[in-house]
Amino acid sequence: MATLTSRLRLSGVSEMLTTSRQRRENFYGYLFLTPWLIGFFGLFIGPGLFSLYLSFTKYDVLSSPIWIGLENYTKMFFEDPLFYTSLGRTFYYAGVGVPLGVVGSMFLAILLNAKLRGLATYRTLFFMPSLVPIVASVVLWKWLLHADFGIINQWLMDLGWSDPPGWFGDRRWAIPSLIMMGLWQGLGGTRMIIFLAGLQGIPESLYEAASIDGASPIHKLRHVTIPLLTPTIFFNMVLGIIGGLQVFTAAFVATEGGPGFATTFYSLHLYRHAFDYWNMGYAASLAWFFAFVIVSLTIWQLRLSRRWVFYYGS
Amino acid sequence: MAATIERLPSTELRSDVYRRGRNRIQRAVTYILLTAAALMFAFPLFWTVSSSLQTWKELRSFEPHLFPAIPQWGNYAMVFSSVPFARWMGNSFLITAITIPGVIITGSLTAYSFARFNYIGKEIWFVLMLGTMMIPSQVTLIPQYVLFFNLKLINTYVPLTIGSWLGGGAFMIFLLRQFIMSIPRDLDEAALMDGASPIRILWGVLLPLMKPALTTVAILQFLGDWNEFFGPFIYLNKVDLFTAAVGLRFFQNIPLESRDPRDHLLMAAAAIMTIPVITLFAAAQRYFIQGVVLSGLKI
Repeated sequence: MATLTSRLRLSGVSEMLTTSRQRRENFYGYLFLTPWLIGFFGLFIGPGLFSLYLSFTKYDVLSSPIWIGLENYTKMFFEDPLFYTSLGRTFYYAGVGVPLGVVGSMFLAILLNAKLRGLATYRTLFFMPSLVPIVASVVLWKWLLHADFGIINQWLMDLGWSDPPGWFGDRRWAIPSLIMMGLWQGLGGTRMIIFLAGLQGIPESLYEAASIDGASPIHKLRHVTIPLLTPTIFFNMVLGIIGGLQVFTAAFVATEGGPGFATTFYSLHLYRHAFDYWNMGYAASLAWFFAFVIVSLTIWQLRLSRRWVFYYGS
Repeated sequence: MAATIERLPSTELRSDVYRRGRNRIQRAVTYILLTAAALMFAFPLFWTVSSSLQTWKELRSFEPHLFPAIPQWGNYAMVFSSVPFARWMGNSFLITAITIPGVIITGSLTAYSFARFNYIGKEIWFVLMLGTMMIPSQVTLIPQYVLFFNLKLINTYVPLTIGSWLGGGAFMIFLLRQFIMSIPRDLDEAALMDGASPIRILWGVLLPLMKPALTTVAILQFLGDWNEFFGPFIYLNKVDLFTAAVGLRFFQNIPLESRDPRDHLLMAAAAIMTIPVITLFAAAQRYFIQGVVLSGLKI
């Protein structure tokens, strides 16, 4: 208790409670925070805890939840083959798509950062696909990649590939098709703009110093640009992985998880249990495990970042 | 877009480097790579428009037509007569008309609290707020659905819009907070000396200065709602209430009177749905970029 009091005094908390200026700060601070606090507890913490409870029950919305202990979790780990395959597919999608997307956006940004004429036009062009709503993009790509009438397959056949892939309709190619579509939408979008901003934060003096030492453009890229972009790469990787693992709309609208189960990602598997079979309890346990995976991965990335992310000047 | 990014001190030196003769090849390579990338990005967009103006017989021939023989503008009219697409677009607009004021008002209040007041527990709330970005939405999905189901709010826009009136989400709040923190505190202090209340300071001093950030937030909210599929999909099951995103998928799957392939109509619908976004982008490019840079750089 004594240590707690002294710690409070050290951090100034006890003073915060006393002065009238501080009382004012507390009052207005919390007053303006109220709408967010209501949302935080009403739409986030409350539902989050309730879903944790539901994950130990059998629940179909219409009748009240029945406590079944760890049954949902044992079912998940030992009886549900789709749990592992959907998780694996999700990792495949995010594990391939996100690094490709991040590296691709970085190179586009590096190209755009050259001081050449007309680059604003290129930048606008690159950005456009990210504006297309996902559902519209799916409609477009299903047509581009249509097995028989799609223009891409017609080109591939002209180039001599007599038996081109069936893309969305082909088990092996369905995920690569989604990745391709994602790259088209994502490469030139916000991620690229974040890289451009990062590039412009690199001090010009470093390039000058490198030039004096006789560094070639490739050397400058390897030893100046990329090391100084590592914080941006890291930022984009973390956000990209969090988003990529939650992939739903593209797969749901394009293939409904098919063909077979080829694009049944984790979030689709969860959706089916929740809203097709009304296994809300089981879906809740899937959701909590998913949160655990994403949070662990993020923390792991944060730890790992100390080894490769370089903060200039700090 | 160019405005925010190109106004930087380094430009002269770098163009100096490029002016040297031996870098002519480098410049040529850069242009070639950029042009190749531009073609890859632009072709699908071109193809959407071109396909939307062809007949289905043209589309379904084994020889691709880059351009329609005769542009079938009627395809666009067909979209509106086959499904209530105009209504769906109207619904999407209605949702954004509810959410944008919400995020502007409550998002600014929350950001103001985080940026300008020094109260007990602030750091904890702030970290918790950022932490919410990490948690997948599926965790709260089921109880939220049950809640709105029990409150008889299925087939209303309440579940889709209420969040925007309760702060509008961590990302928006963070963006607004960053912006407020870049405004000198002297302005607040001066107003405080004149006896202005905190809410007056927000309204009279900060909000007018925050116009660029608020525009950015409004645009991001518009894009988010326009693009949103999952929420409307689970909370709305009456066709008349659909949004454009859900409606487009519905149009993709429902049986119609005519058994003809509808690829050309789907492409027209996809184009129609993209037009508002592109228009907004053309009108406010600067704010798009600013938003991204503001939120991304300083985290």
